[in-house]
Amino acid sequence: MSAEMANEIKLISGRSHPDLSDKIAKRLGIDVARTISLNYSNQETSFTVGESVRDEDVFIVQSTATGDVNEGLMELLIMISACRTASARRITAVIPNFPYARQDKKDKSRAPISARLVANMLQTAGANHIVTVDLHASQIQGFFSVPVDNLYAEPSFLRYIRENFNAEDCVIVSPDAGGAKRATSIADHLNTAFALIHKERPRPNVVGRMVLVGNVEDKVAILVDDMADTCGTLVKAAAVLKENGAKSVLALVTHGILSGNAIETLNGSVLSALVVTNTVPLGDKVERCPKLRVIDISPTIAEAIRRTHNGESVSYLFTHAPV
Amino acid sequence: MRSTLIFSGTSCPGLTKKICENLGMAPADAELTQFSNGETSVRILTSVREKDVFVVQSGSPKINDTIMELLIMISACKGGSASKITAVLPYFPYSRQSKKKSHRGAITARMLANLLGVAGVKHVVTVDLHASQMQGFFRCPVDNLHAEPLIARWIRHNVPDWKEAVVVSKNAGGTKRVTSLADALKLNFGMVTTDKKRGPNMTASMIMNHLDGIERQPVLDPISNQVRNNTSELENGTPASTNGHSQDSRPTADAQEPPRQINGARSRATSNPRHSRSQTTLSQSSVIDEMDEEAEEGPEYNDQRAHEVTHGRLVQGHIVPDDFPSPATSVAGESIHEEDPMTMSHASSFFAPQSHALGGSGDAAESSDEEDEILKPKVEHMITLVGDVKGRSVFIVDDMIDKPGSWIAAAETVVKRGLAKKVYCIATHGVFGGDCLEQMQACDCIDTIVVTNSYPIPEDKARSASKLVVLDLSFLLAEAIRRNHYGESMSPLFQHVLDQ
Repeated sequence: MSAEMANEIKLISGRSHPDLSDKIAKRLGIDVARTISLNYSNQETSFTVGESVRDEDVFIVQSTATGDVNEGLMELLIMISACRTASARRITAVIPNFPYARQDKKDKSRAPISARLVANMLQTAGANHIVTVDLHASQIQGFFSVPVDNLYAEPSFLRYIRENFNAEDCVIVSPDAGGAKRATSIADHLNTAFALIHKERPRPNVVGRMVLVGNVEDKVAILVDDMADTCGTLVKAAAVLKENGAKSVLALVTHGILSGNAIETLNGSVLSALVVTNTVPLGDKVERCPKLRVIDISPTIAEAIRRTHNGESVSYLFTHAPV
Repeated sequence: MRSTLIFSGTSCPGLTKKICENLGMAPADAELTQFSNGETSVRILTSVREKDVFVVQSGSPKINDTIMELLIMISACKGGSASKITAVLPYFPYSRQSKKKSHRGAITARMLANLLGVAGVKHVVTVDLHASQMQGFFRCPVDNLHAEPLIARWIRHNVPDWKEAVVVSKNAGGTKRVTSLADALKLNFGMVTTDKKRGPNMTASMIMNHLDGIERQPVLDPISNQVRNNTSELENGTPASTNGHSQDSRPTADAQEPPRQINGARSRATSNPRHSRSQTTLSQSSVIDEMDEEAEEGPEYNDQRAHEVTHGRLVQGHIVPDDFPSPATSVAGESIHEEDPMTMSHASSFFAPQSHALGGSGDAAESSDEEDEILKPKVEHMITLVGDVKGRSVFIVDDMIDKPGSWIAAAETVVKRGLAKKVYCIATHGVFGGDCLEQMQACDCIDTIVVTNSYPIPEDKARSASKLVVLDLSFLLAEAIRRNHYGESMSPLFQHVLDQ
């Protein structure tokens, strides 16, 4: 019994998204563990845990900042490895934005399945459990031989829509065929109409012609997707929706990666708002883009950590967003 | 070579091209880019099915990107049904993080070895691992090649008086790496060591104990002896060192160093037993367990072989004259510290916040052979040169050059204190972090910097450094690849070729 009592949550934050870690820690009523991470002069990453993690339940929060994906990933692996070496009882990697999630299949000859590589690397480093949010493809869970909790931003989105719009006026639109399931799920929960845009994609990050399937006339069109990267797709889709008579267009996206010229693209678009969660560090993008709104996902992650630690069910979080 | 493909990572296209030229083939086609969000994208543009694949990747300033690229390339080749994948890593990244050096630090090198295994590597070829024990981190075979024959050959061909030269290690941890070069060239061997914890009054006996059994030629030079006796007397006279006895009387917790005052007293009162003791072990090697107090005793008590020990004061990373004001009391020293980029980088050193952040002991600093100097700014250090370098060329040798501080300090010590003629800084891996190369170029005491092309050096940087000599490793690596492919023995690559 006393051994059980000694086992506590140790929340360790990487350098990529300290803001999210702080929010999670605050929510859990604990402090983020003291750590030192830095780069040597040859840019090798070094990490040390500043307090004992022996026999503790360690949660390592690391997102991956745009442009620094490999840096963040390497730091995460080193953090896991350091905690493993320091005799942590269990190490849970909390990766709100799973890196390389889009390279999840051998779509061309000799294409690397980098997502599986990342999964193997995390386990090799010593992760016993993975918590992530809105995986690009749920099949990525199968790349792991350790449990993966894939949390959803959907309950938070549902609440946002209910609080800000009249559900009957809305049409939920998926910007591509792959996201149809995600969009229909939200439409079902809100009991609203659903539409789909079919796009042709000649190359990655380049968007071709788009065709709308469904009716959006005089409605608030809500685009739903799992990630907004260069925003080319979203902006083109928004234009197509406007052409088809939508009253206004906004987008709900879990991971606001917003790389390249995304901010300029957004500012010049017909989108009235882009709503993202804070799974990805946004930096100064909120100031630079007045259309960007942020939903705080930390309550969901904090609750998942608490429940994982206490051995409670996490499934409640798939349908409810903690207040 | 039939059914062999050599892929190059983005870090070292030049080296790979040279390797391929040696083997009479062209590097295999691969498209290496980054997605706009920073994720690495790899496209293997040629069939690898049932091929013997080699992936060459070195380090780069974006080291983590480089590693990910390597892992993804290996993974892609594995997914493309390559029969065998060999990672050729002339510079093994994270090789300095090969042990748990502080509380709860990561053994990143081991993790990287595991990651390579997970990605699908069946064999690793590398050059001069920081610690050869790292071969044990891998489940697959590792060929740790040595650049030493190459370096020895360069020395024999390019240093006119190499037979009179001395090979010097710039820290105690690297001594083992250095002695083998000295053995290969049959040269004398010396060592420079910086004491990180104690002030300028520390004795040399602790260091000397490590050197028992290392073969040295006892070169006696009465004049230089005289000079050194004088300098040590001068040192004793400086205000910075006169209060030394109170410091020394504290317990030093160093088992190898007997309490100094006892030893010192014995050397004054009963020097004969001590003398006979050292003579019993004086077969070929010279046992030196003496301190600078001996200078006061007069020449008749001197075991002269013990006198190839020279001390210097290291302030802000530079050797200073004996009358230089101690930085602890001088304001000038502080302002120098603010301007000196090297000591600035020390201020942000990994270990600096450790004592309070971790409540830890000094054990992190003790493993300092791993990292370059971890000198606290504003603190004066004692630097000790062991061995006679007067009027000779000196090869300061280590496995990599990353930070300039310890190299410059060692070079200044052997020139200003040891009166060396010329200084060659020799390392396998020229990592040159920050403005290291510029600083070493600017240092008057360094004459030549010799590295291999295991770590890519930007061309404009290399061109502006007139002292820099880059040796080509491509033949060694090409030969290793060829021998690996045909299943031949690697051992000839480790042998020195006497081609003079």
